[in-house]
Amino acid sequence: MPVLPMPPLMQNAIEPMQVDAPPNEDNENNEEQQIVVENPSIDLEVYANQYNGIVRLHRLMYVADVCPSLAVEALKMAITYVQTTYNVNLYQLLHKRLSDLNASNAPVPPAPAADLAPVPAAALPDIAAVPAAIALPPLAQGQAAAGEKDSFAYDAVWVDTKMKKAALKLEKLDSDLKNYKSNSIKESIRRGHDDLADHYLSCGDLTNALKCYSRARDYCTSGKHVVNMCLNVIKVSIYLQNWVHVMSYISKAESTPDFAEGSKEANAQVHTRLECAAGLAELQQKKYKVAAKHFLNANFDHCEFPEMISTNNVAVYGGLCALATFDRPELKRLVIASTSFKLFLELEPQLRDIIFKFYESKYASCLTLLDEIRDNLLVDMYIAPHVSTLYTKIRNRALIQYFSPYMSAEMHKMAMAFNSSVGDLENEVMQLILDGQIQARIDSHNKILYAKEADQRNSTFERALVLGKKYQRHTRMLILRAAMLKSHIHVKSVTREGGSNHGAELCVSAGSTTTAQLARM
Amino acid sequence: MGSALENFVNQVRTMSASGSFRELADDLPESVSLLARNWSILDNVLETLDVQQHTLGVLYVLLAKLHSAATANPEPVQIIQLMRDFVQRNNVEQLRFAICAFYETCHLFTDYLVQKNLSILGIKIMARAVDQIRQMDTQLTPIHADLCLLSLKAKNFNLVLAYLDTDITDISTAAAECKTQQQQQSQHTDANNDAKYFLLFYYYGGMIYTAVKNYDRALYFFEVCITTPAMAMSHIMLEAYKKFLMVSLIVEGNVSGSERVSFVQTNLYLSCLYLQIAFIPKNTQVIGRFMKPMASHYHDLVSVYANSSSEELRILILKYSEAFTRDSNMGLAKQVATSLYKRNIKRLTKTFLTLSLSDVASRVQLSGAAEAERYILNMIKSGEIYASINQKDGMVLFKDDPEKYNSPDMFLNVQTNITQVLDLVKQINKMEEEIILNPMYVKKALGSQDDDLTSQHPKTYSGDPTD
Repeated sequence: MPVLPMPPLMQNAIEPMQVDAPPNEDNENNEEQQIVVENPSIDLEVYANQYNGIVRLHRLMYVADVCPSLAVEALKMAITYVQTTYNVNLYQLLHKRLSDLNASNAPVPPAPAADLAPVPAAALPDIAAVPAAIALPPLAQGQAAAGEKDSFAYDAVWVDTKMKKAALKLEKLDSDLKNYKSNSIKESIRRGHDDLADHYLSCGDLTNALKCYSRARDYCTSGKHVVNMCLNVIKVSIYLQNWVHVMSYISKAESTPDFAEGSKEANAQVHTRLECAAGLAELQQKKYKVAAKHFLNANFDHCEFPEMISTNNVAVYGGLCALATFDRPELKRLVIASTSFKLFLELEPQLRDIIFKFYESKYASCLTLLDEIRDNLLVDMYIAPHVSTLYTKIRNRALIQYFSPYMSAEMHKMAMAFNSSVGDLENEVMQLILDGQIQARIDSHNKILYAKEADQRNSTFERALVLGKKYQRHTRMLILRAAMLKSHIHVKSVTREGGSNHGAELCVSAGSTTTAQLARM
Repeated sequence: MGSALENFVNQVRTMSASGSFRELADDLPESVSLLARNWSILDNVLETLDVQQHTLGVLYVLLAKLHSAATANPEPVQIIQLMRDFVQRNNVEQLRFAICAFYETCHLFTDYLVQKNLSILGIKIMARAVDQIRQMDTQLTPIHADLCLLSLKAKNFNLVLAYLDTDITDISTAAAECKTQQQQQSQHTDANNDAKYFLLFYYYGGMIYTAVKNYDRALYFFEVCITTPAMAMSHIMLEAYKKFLMVSLIVEGNVSGSERVSFVQTNLYLSCLYLQIAFIPKNTQVIGRFMKPMASHYHDLVSVYANSSSEELRILILKYSEAFTRDSNMGLAKQVATSLYKRNIKRLTKTFLTLSLSDVASRVQLSGAAEAERYILNMIKSGEIYASINQKDGMVLFKDDPEKYNSPDMFLNVQTNITQVLDLVKQINKMEEEIILNPMYVKKALGSQDDDLTSQHPKTYSGDPTD
């Protein structure tokens, strides 16, 4: 008998599986739920191949989260990839997601049955259904998935063997480490810790991995080892999205005494890696300008760490942040004229065009191009939360630059140059004026924007008067306060005896130092 | 009974005649209870005494009379008449020996008037009392608070504003006065009453300034009230804090950290006067710990105001209207709402040269062009904005401030400001000189250099330089 499509009830019943999902995964999902990308134009295969390790999985899962059209493909790729690691939990989670997805997409053929089913199913006592479902899940799921697609069937055997292998390996590494420790050879212990951490990483147990990497610290004998340890910790912290941690270890690595020594080649690589990590951390903390500077410092020739970030990412993050925060001369000097960053930009021709168009003041085409790549940016887990902020910043910068040479500008033309309606533009400009970024006023009647000439003399007078008033106020209060202290006026907590009939009364609250103060009176 | 009263009269007469007022002032408090018991025949006693010659005696009789007012239920007109007579004809020299009793009399008198709803009759009397008893124009006495209370109750501010406008440089407190006079009073309550009357003066003063729409000054008064050193929270401070939040919305549109700023500044400056600040309770903590949670409605108001959405603000005020009414701050809340409309219109003047009335209405969330016109008209009239309305096509033309800072008036304004600032500087210098010449200060300053660094430490200096 062919496997029946799962009734919707089953989906709910499988809920216990949820327990297996790491908690942070859940949070992530909730946070990003609002972003939905309709039609990104990326080649998922190429995209995924830029990364390896956990990053690839995270990124694929993010794509699955935000982009319904690519979700199935992304999940399948993730599953294929996860099978090369020991990450069994994630494997189960991915399978659950896939089957959920299939269940919600699939019920077209058995529509009548499914439609009928929920009513009686819901009416039925759940108690009967739930235990059965709990008993079933892996099998039922496996079968269900098998019905859809054979190659992505839930492989219970794989799970079992992997789990066993992982446990075995863990045991071996653990006993190795104990051995090293009893021999107390620092170098071996350090390696042992690192190996153990690598294994944890492969299993997807990030917190333990972080712990082991950090433990290696006590056994570092040379500066190179310290830097290595820092890099490992940074890597895991990035996975955990603990940006403060990332920053502190970057500074630790940079302050390692013989960091600057050693062969130039290796050094440059470490340096670039640190810059990228710093850029990423600053980006996540919304310090876009610093982030841009870090990314711009990256060296193209040594920028190969697929377990963290791809060269394309560096180009996009750096380019966008620079565009949003740099002024014209900076943009020219640090981005357009930079020989090293040019190589990065070559990877992202669209972004290069955008920067050049922006610099050439062709704002309309620049903004159109920006809109075109928006969807592609939104599937990127690191930059997606910042896309709208960065875009607004870029737009505002464009508006300010556009208006800077004019005494008066017609808003119809301006609206045309920025692909928006006069009304919207008016609101945008108004905000900028209120923020003090454009010195101008709007003639809403004739739809003309006039630059406002600031009268230095007047404003100086105005400021001086205000300051004078403030000073007087403060000084008066100061004199009064001196008098207050002189007469020992302060509110104390006193148990009230005689009633004061003056309306307002003093609140009595905690405090026992009264006697001390009374002695002073 | 009769003989006891006779004794009293005789004592007053002989001691006043011989000029030994101090002894008299020391003895009299004991007879208050005696007088109060015989409230029915106090009028007879008064007849035998002369206000000018036997000020102290009359004072205590008055005190007793007011103490017994609840039981005796005398004719209000008579009491007021007596009080008026007393403050007009008394002998200040004698009065100085019994300042505490005088303060108490005034407080009781005020309470009595407030109870009888005759506040307006007491304003002049209290003003006269303040004039008499304060040693200089800038001294604050506990009676100031009574004067403010009466003015507030009577809604008559002409007289009191002069007193409020003077900046206080010195404070007369009951505790200090009593101490110098060696009177056996419970210092316990007195010490706190000083703080109470101080707070009340600034609280009432702030309310009076709010009523006459002098918001800047009102803000100053409330700020003084809430930055008073405090170990515990006073309800006066709490109420002042609520009003402070609202008034600062009306004046500045946001609640700046000014209370903190002034606190820190004062601290910095005064650190050179460190003998005095050896003991500063951290009142900002009190605000944070007790006041913020108790004024949460008001904090909500502040945060909603910051969104500049009149609609949200209106809803919030409606939601909390019960709480605001309970605190009798509803009127202020309504003013806050109006001020947001005005603030939003003001923002428009910064960004627009011309704007149609209907646009104004939609941007500041007013109901329609007519209402917008009314608001703008009022604001032009009061000089808050510079604009003209073109009714033909319904446009508003916003203009810049026409002030060019080149008129004689402005020159005069600047000059007066400068003079005021210089006067203040002089005063500060004088105060500093006083401190520097204080032998206690010199001793401590030279005594141990290390202590300069830890001068903020409260435990280090238990000595009281003002004694």
